Amino acid sequence: MIKKRFNPITDKSSEIIAFLMASPDIPDDPDLRFKIELSVEEAVENVVHYAYEGGIGWLEAGTSLDHESLVLTIELRDAGVPFNPLEKADPDVNLSADQREVGGLGIYLCKNMMDSIEYHYEDGNNVLIMRKIVKN
Amino acid sequence: MKVTIKKQNEKTLVTLEGRIDTTNADQFQHDIAPLMEDECPNIDIDCTGMTYTSSQGLRMFLLLQKSVMAHQGTMVMRNMDSRVKEVFDITGFSNIITIL
Repeated sequence: MIKKRFNPITDKSSEIIAFLMASPDIPDDPDLRFKIELSVEEAVENVVHYAYEGGIGWLEAGTSLDHESLVLTIELRDAGVPFNPLEKADPDVNLSADQREVGGLGIYLCKNMMDSIEYHYEDGNNVLIMRKIVKN
Repeated sequence: MKVTIKKQNEKTLVTLEGRIDTTNADQFQHDIAPLMEDECPNIDIDCTGMTYTSSQGLRMFLLLQKSVMAHQGTMVMRNMDSRVKEVFDITGFSNIITIL
């Protein structure tokens, strides 16, 4: 896994996203890159804004690619407040504009843009693993 | 992200170019704020050059749509990039915003 630990992470979203998107594991295909970047941005933003009070803490971000199955794995790890983003209810996308609440779309986008997303809490860390099959 | 706003007769023509992401969401919010102050909004947004939006951009488009409806106005978005359109489709925004 190609990974890097960022500490502290206050205002570091764009640096962390750029690190992940520069990984040689990320494909060149523009459609795939779009979906991966959007998922990475939403997931990283979640940690940067909510994991630690004032962003004072670390985030470890990494990628790996299984060259056989062409499954890309993106892993985010932090030691912030235990939080499982997958427990959050999906927004009701059939509501009218009046009824729609503002926000709450980030993780929903990750779920839709990636092929799988899992969360576990391990050794005091939040671990979020997103996977995408990157063959065209 | 570059936002251009032009008044033409009764219409407000808006052009969006570039990306709306974590680096410029606050600026984008600031740039489109005048559109929310229009008394009788009739907004036409050309998205030809908009290549990316995260949920932060979506948030602003929903606020704008709500504001337009509260003022009994209209808003359309046109020439949306297919990848951006998919984001609007997945989130149900295609049902609440007129996309031509």
